[in-house]
Amino acid sequence: MLRFRTLLASPYRKRKKQPKTGRKTRATRSDAVPRKQCHRTDELRQPHQLETVEQEEEEEEAEAEDGELGFHLKSSARSNAHGVQPLGNLFLSPNATNSRNTGLGALQNLTDELLLEILGLLSATQLGILATVSKSFYIFCNHEPLWRNLVLEALGGDFSFNRSWKSTYVAGCHPSFDVGSVGDLGLEIRDFYSDYVFQSWLCANLEMKPEWLERDNIVRKRGISVEEFVRSFEEPNKPVLLEGCMDGWLALEKWNRDYLVKTCSGVRFSVGPVEMRLEDYFCYSDQTREERPLYLFDPKFGEKVPVLGLDYEVPVYFREDLFSVLGNERPDYRWIIIGPSGSGSSFHIDPNSTSAWNAVITGSKKWVLFPPDVVPPGVHPSPDGAEVACPVSINEWFMNFYGATKSWKKKPVECICKAGEVIFVPSGWWHMVINLEESIAITQNYVSSRNLLNVLDFLKKPNASTLVSGTRDRVNLHDKFKKAVEAKFPGKIDQLMLEAEDKAALQKKPSFWDSVTDSKAGAFTFSF
Amino acid sequence: MASSRKITLRSSDGESFEVEEAVAVESQTIKHMIEDDCADNAIPLPNVTSKILAKVIEYCKKHVDASKAEDRVNDEDLKAWDAAFIKVDQVDQATLFDLILAANYLNIKSLLDLTCQTVADMIKGNLFPVRNEWLNFTFSIANRELVLVCLTEWVAHRRLFCS
Repeated sequence: MLRFRTLLASPYRKRKKQPKTGRKTRATRSDAVPRKQCHRTDELRQPHQLETVEQEEEEEEAEAEDGELGFHLKSSARSNAHGVQPLGNLFLSPNATNSRNTGLGALQNLTDELLLEILGLLSATQLGILATVSKSFYIFCNHEPLWRNLVLEALGGDFSFNRSWKSTYVAGCHPSFDVGSVGDLGLEIRDFYSDYVFQSWLCANLEMKPEWLERDNIVRKRGISVEEFVRSFEEPNKPVLLEGCMDGWLALEKWNRDYLVKTCSGVRFSVGPVEMRLEDYFCYSDQTREERPLYLFDPKFGEKVPVLGLDYEVPVYFREDLFSVLGNERPDYRWIIIGPSGSGSSFHIDPNSTSAWNAVITGSKKWVLFPPDVVPPGVHPSPDGAEVACPVSINEWFMNFYGATKSWKKKPVECICKAGEVIFVPSGWWHMVINLEESIAITQNYVSSRNLLNVLDFLKKPNASTLVSGTRDRVNLHDKFKKAVEAKFPGKIDQLMLEAEDKAALQKKPSFWDSVTDSKAGAFTFSF
Repeated sequence: MASSRKITLRSSDGESFEVEEAVAVESQTIKHMIEDDCADNAIPLPNVTSKILAKVIEYCKKHVDASKAEDRVNDEDLKAWDAAFIKVDQVDQATLFDLILAANYLNIKSLLDLTCQTVADMIKGNLFPVRNEWLNFTFSIANRELVLVCLTEWVAHRRLFCS
């Protein structure tokens, strides 16, 4: 997934209409840092309080938002930004030097991202030494994502998080050294202005604004029959939040940190690019304050710890599970998801054109869903859907693009899914999730008779080798699956195709794939 | 036989370069412009001067030729060519940084990787020996790595604020 940074839009003090910039952001990597100003009034500055004025800026937007909106930082926000300020403040400061530039020498003409890419090629020691060269290098070389990569490369999932990625690295790679005596001195550097570095820190420390969480327009149902579910939601491909179908799940009573750590002792779960033990992951998730925290997302939890699989059962609506005909060769289909507040998944469409359900066992998640034919603002899928460019972090999307959805005719479906609730995500729908508190959930993707034909079509596409996910045998999955379905349910596929033709003849409806315009359901890849 | 359609690229200072389409689409940016049908006339590249564009085209041409069956160049030779190509620019740092910016703007991954790695190597080469005339102690080689990493906070404080 390509990630680009969009910056906070141009500021204004009073209620003044700003002219539209009329600028389309092309989300290529080179375009990552369009220069906009961000405003911070010094007289309002107090510890841990930031008043920043926001204005809608993107293509779809008609008018500037009135009033001043403040951003609030999480109370535990560390001042790890070293006093970094956004670039716009440079124009308001009494002296016009930016120590970012003076401290970089010949490198100052490179963008922040390019510079960080270069720094990413250095070893830990080299980064450490480089940090002493100038205030500018000090800030860049202490950029936590750099140290996160170093830790994950050097230690894999075997690290014990210790306040910051940098000290985690030292503690992990030089254990004889007493990390407690070295710390982040947190040097305050007053004349460093950089939008990229500032926003990185801001997004990591931002509290979700209440108005981002207000809208809850999903349909909620309790105790409906399977037929009604199929008729009202699965067939027409509409999302729904189902209550009461986790009653009786042992997981709801039993699953908490202690139980999971004890039950899964020693087992490693997939966390981004590495595998970690649960106690190590919790140690990390308790302390982390990042834009994109590592997220525990394991597709083999049932195989790794079979007992966990006994603590829940598939809700009655989703029992038809056609990929099961493939037995052990079926693509990944069920995941355990654990993550701290602020973790989540940015906009994507689920793989292989399947539908999904997501059950929250503890915690709560904010969902934003868009139908297949509506590309969310700020998201740019490639024409074949294999790649999706989107903002670097979920907070960034909310800051810059959520407001755009207010004036759209096709509003997204939104909700907060709490413990004990299950959300149905129809196939092809764009969705994004953010954990509002530490959450544990189970999700499964499935194929039923309703989307069998779509899935077969998807697997048959010429670029299946890049788009199909969750299995090693991408190219042959279509044939294998079709044969296996024919074997177990002879005639089903033909019957479904007849029914589809009849319906199409009646409605002259375009096929699912024809109706998807610029959001052809694409591959699902997490990039970390 | 590959299409030998020519594309015209125009640099920021108005100079035009005619290149084969296969060479031009080494740049993902240009490739997308062509796909979006913006390439009937010259493609303007306001972020790239003629001096840099010439070098970029030289790089792309070599890499396209290297992968053609007739002129098959093996990996090692290509790497050697890359090293020679970039070495000239190490002398002229400004060109090297401009190449990075151009490779980023034009989205040519291999050139971006090459140039970034070059700068990283230059940085690495300049880091030792650490000037420590104002540090009043020596440290043993065994602990050197460790101490250097951890001391940077203290060193940073002294160097940046106490000199």
